[in-house]
Amino acid sequence: MTLMSGEIYSYSELAAKAGVILPTPKTEAWKYTRLRDLLGTDYQLCETTSKKGENVPFSANIIHISNGKIVSELPHIEGVTFQIISSAEALSNYPFAKMNAAYLTQGLQIEISGTLNQPLVLNYFMMPEDKNYFYHFRNRIICKSNSKAEIIEQFTYDGNVKSCYLANIVNEIEIQSYAHLDHYKYQNEAFKANHIALHKVNIAEGGKYDSFCLQKGANIARNETEVSLNGEKAEAVVNAAYMMNGWATLDTTTNIYHYQPQTKSSQIVKGVIGGTAKGVFQGRIHIAPNAVHTSGTQLHKAILLSDTAEIDVKPELEIFADDVKCSHGAASGELDKEQLFYMRSRGIGEEEAKNILIEAYLNDVINMIENEKIREWFKSLR
Amino acid sequence: MNAPLLEIEDLCAEVSGKQIIKDFNLTINEGEIHAIMGPNGAGKSTLSYVLCGKPGYTVTSGTVRFKGKDLLSMSTEDRAREGIFLVMQYPVEIPGVPSTTFLKHSVNAVRKYKNLPELDTMEFLKLVREEGRKLGLDNEMLKRPINVGFSGGEKKRMEALEMVVLKPDFAILDEADSGLDIDAMKVVAGSVNSLRDGKRSMLIITHFQRLLNYVEPDFVHIFADGHIVKTGNKNLAVELEQNGYAEYVKVK
Ligand SMILES: Nc1ncnc2c1ncn2[C@@H]1O[C@H](COP(=O)(O)OP(=O)(O)OP(=O)(O)O)[C@@H](O)[C@H]1O
Ligand SMILES: [Mg+2]
Repeated sequence: MTLMSGEIYSYSELAAKAGVILPTPKTEAWKYTRLRDLLGTDYQLCETTSKKGENVPFSANIIHISNGKIVSELPHIEGVTFQIISSAEALSNYPFAKMNAAYLTQGLQIEISGTLNQPLVLNYFMMPEDKNYFYHFRNRIICKSNSKAEIIEQFTYDGNVKSCYLANIVNEIEIQSYAHLDHYKYQNEAFKANHIALHKVNIAEGGKYDSFCLQKGANIARNETEVSLNGEKAEAVVNAAYMMNGWATLDTTTNIYHYQPQTKSSQIVKGVIGGTAKGVFQGRIHIAPNAVHTSGTQLHKAILLSDTAEIDVKPELEIFADDVKCSHGAASGELDKEQLFYMRSRGIGEEEAKNILIEAYLNDVINMIENEKIREWFKSLR
Repeated sequence: MNAPLLEIEDLCAEVSGKQIIKDFNLTINEGEIHAIMGPNGAGKSTLSYVLCGKPGYTVTSGTVRFKGKDLLSMSTEDRAREGIFLVMQYPVEIPGVPSTTFLKHSVNAVRKYKNLPELDTMEFLKLVREEGRKLGLDNEMLKRPINVGFSGGEKKRMEALEMVVLKPDFAILDEADSGLDIDAMKVVAGSVNSLRDGKRSMLIITHFQRLLNYVEPDFVHIFADGHIVKTGNKNLAVELEQNGYAEYVKVK
């Protein structure tokens, strides 16, 4: 779809041009995350900028992606081949992935065939100036049999914090037999920005996808993960944490499909929500009829810091097989008053006491990250 | 006579709309040790919470001055920073916060209030480990989340550790002796005594004379129905141990 530089388009208009039907408040999969602000904004194509985002505080191979375009040399890494892509699959069921394909800004194919000795960082950086830019980025990540890698996605911005830009990112991830991918994400977009991400993951026999996503920015943000466990003993960990004090909606949506016996999935999501912000967790675990001896667990916990903060949780278990272990749980509450009093009675100020409790609360899930440097990095971001 | 440290006048306070503290009067001078004894439910813990400004505990009338300042208008944290410390009857568990981390936040918050520089981490660890060792809390214990899964006695030792590290001017010990074995009692009493310097004062709430054998009080008060009904010296504790409170409690 060709768009004119400098022209203003609403997202609905773009969707109509591409024949994509965007979610409405009546669309079940989007009923908690209202897209009003996203759909109402006028966007424009971005004139590219070459400014790079902040590096990470550990040694890594970094690819800088600015306003949706790769702005650094692709690194030479043994066991990895890169290829820039300029067209992508629409992916039915996902209207935003269709938009991503129709208006692809750029894409990258990453093929991994060995064991990477340091993480690969995709460093997305937005320089919105005073415009409402939008970009659509696609990664096609192929983890060859027996390969092992860590990929980190970082989303930050600089410049006009009031820009209502839109980042639409789709990752198609293929994990071949006995390959192992650790996938981390940190989302700290500008406070009026929109961030819609989809990770579509296919895992073959004995493969493992281990993920953690921390979201603390944007006005409307959705991090959606679809995992298909296609081979026996395939495994997925889809953990997340989110924290928000303004008025944003932070959405974590998961769809885990167990198609084969002895597959395993676990999800722990912890949120801290204040102000008039809203936390959304929709988690579906689907176990196909032949997927015996599988286990799927899911836990969502949230702390509400104000009376006006809101949590919407929708767990869905669809179990069609016998002899499976499945569980889901959800809990939400406030910071513990006795704990706050105890800390304050020891001279710790109220704000600091709250922060200590919030840190401890989120550490639960952050501590599950095995790589110490990445774990400490997330703690410093929280 | 020493200067007054804590002056409580005609204090009335309620919890959940129920009046618990009724016209309570007590002055504690610098360097004095006061013991309060009284039947269950008399309001002893309530008094200590009121002095710390616990939310939900409402003062309906009366005044409290600490070092001459109006205590009741201060926040809980400022009272602690001014030098009030409460050894709680039921210490609170805080999952995910290691004891040393907790103590460090606490010590530095108090130091900041007093315009003192933060303690260096190594210096601080050395201090905590040393005091911990005296109280029978080893390094492993200090790394654990504060009070989480601690035995009753271990919790009380942790309270004592916090107290000796913070060195308050005025400590309230609410049943610091409950749940302690005889050896631990001596150890905790030792740390209480180590703080005595002729200026610091203590208010010891207890049901038994035992602790008072190790930390000798200047005054013993009998607390019933929301206020002090009798004041004596340490012999009053001995007498109570024998006769109980029947004489002091109204027949309901
Ligand atoms: N939150 C509350 N709501 C209602 N009543 C309360 C509350 N807290 C305390 N009380 C009541 O206040 C009274 C005094 O309680 P407090 O804990 O101060 O007694 P105490 O003298 O410390 O007793 P003990 O020796 O058993 O520790 C009790 O009758 C108690 O039930
Ligand atoms: Mg009590």
